[in-house]
Amino acid sequence: MRPLFLQVAAVTMMNLKSLPQRLWLSLSTVIAVALVVIVLLAFLAMANGFQRTLANSGSPDVAVILRGGAQSEVNSVVSRDQVRLVEEAPGVAKSADGRPIASAELYLVVDGVKRASGTKANLPLRGIGREGAVVRKGIKLVAGRMFATGTNEIVVGRALQREFAGFELEEKVGFGTSQWTVVGVFEADGSVFESEIWADLPVVQSLFRRDNIFQTVRVRLDGPTALATLKRYADDDPRLKLDVKSETEYFADQASRSHDLVQKLGWPLAIAMAFGALAGALNTMYSAVAARAVEIATLRAIGFGGFPAFVGTLAESLLLATVGGVLGAAATFLFFDGLSASTLGASFTQVVFDFQLTPALALQGLILALAVGLIGGLFPAFRAARMPIVAGLYG
Amino acid sequence: MSSDIAMVRLVGVSKHYVKGNETIAVFEHLDLSIVQGDFVAVMGPSGSGKTTLLHLIGGIDGRDAGEIHVAGARIDGLSEWQLARWRATNVGFIFQFYNLMPMLTAAQNVELPLLLTRLSGHERRRHVETALKVVHAADRATHLPREMSAGQQQRVAIARAIVSDPKLLLCDEPTGDLDRVTGDHILTILQVLNRDFGKTVVMVTHDPAAAKYAKRVLHLDKGRFTEKTGLAA
Amino acid sequence: MNDLTLVRKNLFRKRLRAWLMIVSILTAFAIFGVLASFWQALNVGQDVGNTDRLIVVNKINFTQDLPVSYFDRVREIAGVRQVTHLSWFGGYYQDPKNLLVVLAVEPASYMELYGNDIDIPPEAQQAFKRERTGALVGEDMAKKWGWKIGDRVPIASNIFSQRSGSHTWDFTIVGTFSARRLQVNTNFMVFQYAYFDETRSFSKDFIGWIALRTGSPSLNDRVIKAIDQTFANSPYETATDTEKALNMAFIAQFGNIALFVKLIVGAAFATMLMIVGNTMALSVRERTREIGVLKTLGFSGGRILRLVLSESILLAFIGGLMGLGLAMLFIVSVRGRLIDILPSVSIAPTVMLTGVALMLGLGFVTGFIPALSAMRLKIAVALGRS
Repeated sequence: MRPLFLQVAAVTMMNLKSLPQRLWLSLSTVIAVALVVIVLLAFLAMANGFQRTLANSGSPDVAVILRGGAQSEVNSVVSRDQVRLVEEAPGVAKSADGRPIASAELYLVVDGVKRASGTKANLPLRGIGREGAVVRKGIKLVAGRMFATGTNEIVVGRALQREFAGFELEEKVGFGTSQWTVVGVFEADGSVFESEIWADLPVVQSLFRRDNIFQTVRVRLDGPTALATLKRYADDDPRLKLDVKSETEYFADQASRSHDLVQKLGWPLAIAMAFGALAGALNTMYSAVAARAVEIATLRAIGFGGFPAFVGTLAESLLLATVGGVLGAAATFLFFDGLSASTLGASFTQVVFDFQLTPALALQGLILALAVGLIGGLFPAFRAARMPIVAGLYG
Repeated sequence: MSSDIAMVRLVGVSKHYVKGNETIAVFEHLDLSIVQGDFVAVMGPSGSGKTTLLHLIGGIDGRDAGEIHVAGARIDGLSEWQLARWRATNVGFIFQFYNLMPMLTAAQNVELPLLLTRLSGHERRRHVETALKVVHAADRATHLPREMSAGQQQRVAIARAIVSDPKLLLCDEPTGDLDRVTGDHILTILQVLNRDFGKTVVMVTHDPAAAKYAKRVLHLDKGRFTEKTGLAA
Repeated sequence: MNDLTLVRKNLFRKRLRAWLMIVSILTAFAIFGVLASFWQALNVGQDVGNTDRLIVVNKINFTQDLPVSYFDRVREIAGVRQVTHLSWFGGYYQDPKNLLVVLAVEPASYMELYGNDIDIPPEAQQAFKRERTGALVGEDMAKKWGWKIGDRVPIASNIFSQRSGSHTWDFTIVGTFSARRLQVNTNFMVFQYAYFDETRSFSKDFIGWIALRTGSPSLNDRVIKAIDQTFANSPYETATDTEKALNMAFIAQFGNIALFVKLIVGAAFATMLMIVGNTMALSVRERTREIGVLKTLGFSGGRILRLVLSESILLAFIGGLMGLGLAMLFIVSVRGRLIDILPSVSIAPTVMLTGVALMLGLGFVTGFIPALSAMRLKIAVALGRS
């Protein structure tokens, strides 16, 4: 009696060699699994890319101050007095000439047009203070120059320029009856700020009738304990009914909400499709076992045990599923990774992000594929192992 | 016999098939005449074209040259659809392997040819009952083929062949897969169908014992007939 | 027995295989049913009410407001029959996470304009016009929070504050309204603009947007132009469009959802087509002999074609109807949880009809080639010994 391992290897090789006989059916299983993996990974890559953009956007040593209870900048209102109090608060870092590194800002929504679809989109117009670009880390001008204070000049984020039409350098953009000129393009480490338009705060305030109205204040913190100090300061002063958050915290809150939605949509859809693929895999493998009934029975009659037939069938199923999974991951990488997209974020404005597929995510897709291959092969493998010899030989 | 109507008449029929680069002639300029009410056994070595002959008579294969007249119609040259219609009313086939639909009951199998007619469900069931009675398989009506013995399956097949009351029965080795006793029962039924119901029977067989049930025996060899009448081998 | 029985028996000759194919078809149609219905619900423009209402917003963006004086000026424009104004309150109940749709409106004109969509009992209508702090609450919202007529509810705003500094306004529920049609959303609340404007600390005399209906849909284009022209070159320019177009544009902001739905459903259907198509072909090949026998019995090629095609179509319908049924069950069960995003989701007749058409198409495509080869099968070959 040949050792078990050799039996298994022999039967498995036979199975795989006879695959071409059921080429189209096997191919349809491979493609079915690949499609399931593509759907799952596309979703995961989308969620991941969106998440990354938001995660990159926060800096732990920048604090965002909003009206107490405001969920996002759009809904916040901060008065001039409150701004002054915050600027003089403990914990706020100071620049070389003793001025606080703080930027009171206004965050408004204006209309833009998406390049890809030609449809309208909500874009953020942020009026920033003099220290606006300095407060945030990682802001780099890559074309043109910064806007001059007191003028209708704007700078736009690189991602925004890419996704939305009409923001080339030197172009004139109209918001309502006012005309603005694009004088610079900036990069911001792939963060949310790259989806924004920046202008001088006083100009924005006057043109949008928000004189003396601000929405947020951003300050650079001067040390690891600065956030706690600032929070205490705000809590103690009854005039400051404000929320003080680190920027990372602020964006993390926003990110979690949208992340949930995609997860809740992506996995269920992928699993639903996986059922269809599973039906296909089972079908293919049962057909394979039936087609090879004579071979299997003959081997059994010779003296091969049921176990090699079991392993051989299971191996075939897992192989098909693996090929499908790898194909799906590769296709997702080719077509989706790096794909730029934009959607409505928590602040009611467009956030530009890239689909980002990582090896860890691809692994999830592969695991799903293997699960389909395992279940799809398990039951047919049992049937192959327990096939009555006579029935198999004589049909 | 001389003034009887010809049920089957082949005039100068040739048939060949292509295998790879060769063209092999099955028969050339073959003539055949079978009168109504005859029971003919066709014997011959394997590859002699007995089955092909049966197929030609039944209109399920076409000839390359010559005329084929069956049941009063000239069937060479008819279209597929015309042949199908003709077959439905004129010919009944019986094969070596019973060729019953495995997922239909005996009665449902026998009913199949009647789906081609305009008979009502009630009438169809009546015909099925009658046919099953003739072959002594009425007790198997609700059984599936896998629940029946070889002999029973063949009887159901015969019932299916006669349920439309065709004038001609074509049998390809009907007892080839049956033991002696069961085979004899089948052949007896064929004789009854021939003698009492006036059906013309053409039976291909390699078994001389089976051929004894026929009225005439034709030997087909190298594309030529030689006739041995009745009981001689 | 008849042709249908024959077809059915052939389909289920190998029961496991038939059911596996049905599962495959079922999942594809379930996915289709759910996604298409979600898309339909988002695309509320199906509802007639939306195509004949026009909305006037600030040209810069719909989040910017308009002067309340525009309301009277729009009323003057030729072709405008009914008009009202609405403002976004930014409301939440108790926890800032419990966001609500709360609108400050001009009571009489609002009820007149939206009367075709929502059914407000006459007493409620009177009360709403009369009570300064009164609010009308939609059925769905009232049910969600357990509010009843007469309740005093405090709603906070995450944008506005009262002059006193508080962010909370107290409302008395004077009535509830129900939807006149399935697609109409009732998960919102309306209250008096006057109460809002008198008490808030900023944006006095400004409104969010204006909604109107013209004398007839054919006048729409003209009225749109007239309105926008009236306010062109003013500090608050307007952009007017149909409510349907605005809704669609808003949905489009999330991304090309239609494309996304098509791609996913397409992938699911492609999978199913491959599996079922190949299996049908395999199944017919296995029956070569039987097909030959049927032909000897006198079944014509055309009839055999019809039998095979009927089989694949029957299969498609069994799986498809089960799939749509599953989709319906799913939608009904999640409807409560989705009431905030997709308030009026259900399986619309158009989705059903499209589904049936797809079943027919699927049955045809998967069965056509096997049916054709079965039809063309030569009897002698089919009965052959090999």
